[in-house]
Amino acid sequence: MSFTKLSTSALAIAVVTAATAASARDQVQVAGSSTVLPYASIVAEAFGENFEFPTPVVESGGSSAGLKRFCQGVGTEHTDIANASRAIREKEIKACAENGVTDIIEVRIGYDGIVFASQLDGPAYTAFTQSDIFNALAPKVMVDGALVDNPYTKWSDFNADLPDADILAFIPGTKHGTREVFEEKVIAAGCEATGAMEAMIASGMSEDDAEDACLEVRTDGRSVDIDGDYTETLASIDANSNAIGVFGLAFYENNTDKLKVATMAGVEPTTETIAAGEYPVSRPLYFYIKKAHIGVIPGLKEFAEFFVADEIAGPDGPLANYGLVSDPELASTQAVVSDEKVIGGGS
Amino acid sequence: MTDVSISTTPSAPDRAKRVSLISSDARTEKRKSAERRFRMYGIAGIATGIFFLIVLLVSIVSSGTGAFQQTFINASVYLDPSKLDKNGNRAIEDLRKVSTFGYTPLIQQAVFDKLEQNGIETPLQKRGDMKALISASAAAQVRDVVLANPDLIGETVDFRILASSRVDGYLKGRVQREDVARDKNIDAEHLDLVDALVPLGIIEKTFNIDFITGADASESRAEAAGIGVAMIGSFFMMLVVLVLSLPIGVAASIYLEEFAPKNRWTDLIEVNIANLAAVPSIVFGILGLAVFIQFMHLPQSAPLVGGLVLTLMTLPTIIISTRASLKAVPPSIRDAALGVGASKMQSVFHHVLPLAAPGILTGTIIGLAQALGETAPLLLIGMVGFIASNAPDGIASGLLDPNSAMPAQIYEWAKRADPAFYERAWGGIIILLGFLISMNTLAVILRRRFERRW
Amino acid sequence: MPLLWLSAIILALATAGFFLGRARALASVNGSSEKLHSLPSYYGSNALMKSVFPAFGAMLLWMLVQPLFIDNRVAQLIPDSEIDEGSSIGLVMSEVRRTADGITNAINAGFIDDETLTAGQADLSDVTQRLKDAGQVVTNDITQPILNAAQEYRALSETSRSVMTIVVLLVALLGAGWGVIQSGRDFRARNVVEQGILGILIAAASVAILTTIGIIFSLIFNTIEFFSLYPAVEFFTLLEWAPSFSGRGGASSLGILPLLWGTIYISVVALLVAVPVGLFSAIYLSEYASPRVRGIAKPLLEILAGIPTIVYGLFALLTIGPLLVSVFGEDGAGWMGGGRSVMTAGIAMGIMLIPFVSSLSDDIINAVPQSLRDGSYGLGATQSETIKQVVLPAALPGIVGAILLAASRAIGETMIVVLGAGAAARLSLNPFEAMTTVTAKIVSQLTGDSDFASPEALVAFALGITLFVLTLCLNVFALYIVRKYREQYE
Repeated sequence: MSFTKLSTSALAIAVVTAATAASARDQVQVAGSSTVLPYASIVAEAFGENFEFPTPVVESGGSSAGLKRFCQGVGTEHTDIANASRAIREKEIKACAENGVTDIIEVRIGYDGIVFASQLDGPAYTAFTQSDIFNALAPKVMVDGALVDNPYTKWSDFNADLPDADILAFIPGTKHGTREVFEEKVIAAGCEATGAMEAMIASGMSEDDAEDACLEVRTDGRSVDIDGDYTETLASIDANSNAIGVFGLAFYENNTDKLKVATMAGVEPTTETIAAGEYPVSRPLYFYIKKAHIGVIPGLKEFAEFFVADEIAGPDGPLANYGLVSDPELASTQAVVSDEKVIGGGS
Repeated sequence: MTDVSISTTPSAPDRAKRVSLISSDARTEKRKSAERRFRMYGIAGIATGIFFLIVLLVSIVSSGTGAFQQTFINASVYLDPSKLDKNGNRAIEDLRKVSTFGYTPLIQQAVFDKLEQNGIETPLQKRGDMKALISASAAAQVRDVVLANPDLIGETVDFRILASSRVDGYLKGRVQREDVARDKNIDAEHLDLVDALVPLGIIEKTFNIDFITGADASESRAEAAGIGVAMIGSFFMMLVVLVLSLPIGVAASIYLEEFAPKNRWTDLIEVNIANLAAVPSIVFGILGLAVFIQFMHLPQSAPLVGGLVLTLMTLPTIIISTRASLKAVPPSIRDAALGVGASKMQSVFHHVLPLAAPGILTGTIIGLAQALGETAPLLLIGMVGFIASNAPDGIASGLLDPNSAMPAQIYEWAKRADPAFYERAWGGIIILLGFLISMNTLAVILRRRFERRW
Repeated sequence: MPLLWLSAIILALATAGFFLGRARALASVNGSSEKLHSLPSYYGSNALMKSVFPAFGAMLLWMLVQPLFIDNRVAQLIPDSEIDEGSSIGLVMSEVRRTADGITNAINAGFIDDETLTAGQADLSDVTQRLKDAGQVVTNDITQPILNAAQEYRALSETSRSVMTIVVLLVALLGAGWGVIQSGRDFRARNVVEQGILGILIAAASVAILTTIGIIFSLIFNTIEFFSLYPAVEFFTLLEWAPSFSGRGGASSLGILPLLWGTIYISVVALLVAVPVGLFSAIYLSEYASPRVRGIAKPLLEILAGIPTIVYGLFALLTIGPLLVSVFGEDGAGWMGGGRSVMTAGIAMGIMLIPFVSSLSDDIINAVPQSLRDGSYGLGATQSETIKQVVLPAALPGIVGAILLAASRAIGETMIVVLGAGAAARLSLNPFEAMTTVTAKIVSQLTGDSDFASPEALVAFALGITLFVLTLCLNVFALYIVRKYREQYE
């Protein structure tokens, strides 16, 4: 009896020690933003098919968790690449450096378009401006030249061209990088355009406070935060014919049988209009490479170069096909990768 | 006294009625109907539970069965030497240099040729227009065959390649004609083609074993994704959970139930176990990340780490059920053993434990089933994402190489943009439920067969 | 010597000890085992135990102490000049360790040999390149002091390893020898072995404590960091939860109360669904149902507990939500804006909890002795009266315990809430409004895109520890109730 128990525990110890001993890793490990994950997985799959290296492992879990693990140290037990839907912050670079992660290569892979869409059979939400969204979702808006608590309940209340339907919007929750873009490129822009910002400054607010106040959204239930993914927003839209939702361009393009998209300031969101800079709501996507791992983890540099190669990230590549807006300056990104240029100059 | 006798006299007929055994009075009726009502509540309770179960199962099965079928295209691909082997020496190094992008036109040409051979009229006049019909995985499939057998170059080879997820969706009714107008991935003309090719047997929908055995695929190839590798990941995790949690759980239960003195220390352990059974599973994920990955430096995304985390999570469940089955063994058994001179330890290990074994096994199986369906902690130790793409090739690599698990894979699919993944998520749930229900059934059978009542 | 081999040798020694001890014990009584105090195998087990435990213990201890000792020795070799500004000795040491491991691996793989390194003034860039070729992680180009330190590190490790091997084997041998020598007719081997087994059992029971300690340690440091960035008073008293995305300047309000309110509200709704259904099912199953019906219905209900929570989440989002909207939404009562609400998540969670309540209550009701029922029937009570007035009161503490267990499940549930209840933190009484819970926010803040060193991300740990303490209190309370009011029938 005791013998079996002893041997099982011995086996467990053996397994654990064997695990610690196994240090060599033969595949590239990537972690980070779930917005970048689709693109990274497409590249990883093609990389595995075309190269002798094993298919890289791409984990999701958010830019924050991805960068945190990226910054935990140098060595095979740490990830090689972090995906992020925003640029790395100063504080994070510092935290990285404290753990010995000093040479980081920043690679911008392209842009992600952010669109407003609604149920296919719902009211005709086909054209918005930033001011419309601001008027619908801000806690305080301009009515007859004065800043008042948002009185609007229907879209047609402030813009006769919009449908006579209740305001209900599903917007990304505060954990999402998309929220930042939504706030800065839509709400804040609308705030300035409607004159609300000026009114705030005129009422004695400092400029910084007014900028912050401009980013707020109403909390009376007409604007609903979604902390999950676009699938969740889609399900919410499905259940509410009046609602509009915020989606990524790629997600919308895969679900055109359920959603119709609205133009923003008269521009329809497509990969072309975003690349040309005409459609205003978009953000860059990045990945970060640990330079110390290049030449050590087999296939790391090849993977990074493959990721930004023309046939992958170019305007006709599979990433653009899936909905990534390819970077007009892809050539300089390719140069960054092949020269291993790290953040903060040097090589 | 007299009052009483007076008052009873007039009610004598009543009394006679009341004692009748055949007809029942109002009060008995009331009690009987209360009895019936109470019974009905019970039946209603069970009926509600089973109703919910049926609704759940029906909605799962109806959404998920589509994943087990897949649309294929039968095409004869001409492996053009001028494209695949420019040097003409069939050297493997040169062949490797031709990437999957080089194979795509050949496959498109093959499908295009099929149209011409069968005299199908279509406004789609370019070979590139066939792209919408064909899965992106086809090129890799053909390339692998060529690299394995370079002599095929220059010949025309029959392939059974995957159709794109839109074509598959059209044949399954997920993609409607009226919706494709705004879909940039496929046009109505393509659907006409599909309609024309299906009767010819060039496009066919068949049972898809790859869904059950295959690896995960990237977001642009919903049609190629399978749950097989994640299933292996789950298997290895369950192996770790079983090997660790059964002995530890049984040992802990024996101590607590049979030997522990009633003091503060054992109280502390008891409260702890009860509490751990209710700690949100996500907290175990945080623990696993901090202890196993950051402190012990075990590899990320490894089923070993997942198994360790799930072990800690299942231990309380196993301990609680093991203690219940130890408690169910009557004291007379222990007394008898002690009476013939066995030590306490011998009475427990030789008599109580074998009698409690069926109950322990049942509890363990239920604990394993719970661990098998858990997602939240795996989110934090890196098992969600595009991970289950390489099948492990041995026990060590099964434990240590990055892999996913079935529920994590399902969660991942449910998040992806292409609705075809949604169908696969439900298909994955059917498989997962299949495992869970068979584990539960096994537990029930064990319980029935070996359970003893004293 | 690899640890695996060392372990194998220890086990082999122990097995030899087992047979020797057994044989010696038998020999001491000339083969008539009935004259021994214990069964012969106990003498063997005694020897086995005495060699395995101390040997593995010594090995473990050595491996824990060795890095500390060596680090200390090697750190003295590193001149201050090697430590860059903003760097620390710890960082340089990890560099040294990495280099040392790299050299060892590279030597094993044949990319480099000891000669070139010990030649004193080895070509540093060459060494770096060779290490990289061998697939080892090296950061900056290696400097001479680091190379020296790494070599010293390797030398020390090697010596320490060999000393450890000798010590451990010696301990195993001595232990086995001791056990064998002890074996004799008067030695009470069984008692000693049983003490040892009891030790194993206690260790296994302590895993639960270790897990708890582990959980607290993995949460506490980040929680402290959070509270240094964000005032604790506000965290516990603020009535608003509004994290701002840390990219902009605006300050976040991170009050836990709206989240706690959502957690409690959703749990209460879930219990309102699960308790009546589960309790009545349990009563019917244990008191009325024929064995056949019971044999079918009970496992069927238990399947509900086996369905992954993610399925319930999707079910809430896609089925329950739209159903509720069609009744209470704009076209109906007008109380409900969207498909996500406290009710949506609460009902789905309630369905999940039904088997928890029913199975546990069923067991508890079954444990009420038949004599109580028979007594009640003897007095003329109907079955339902017996249940209501005799069985249920007797089973009540257990049932309360079961409900509290279900409640702590509800509080800890994540996936259903994430999908069904929405993400808006709100203090409201309307059950048709979207709210959120502590667990849902832990997931969303941990897997979000915000700056990982910001309070918005660290708050997840503070939430986790609060939740942990909360469920702990609930469980202590449940245990207290069950203990205090438990009826003892035997």
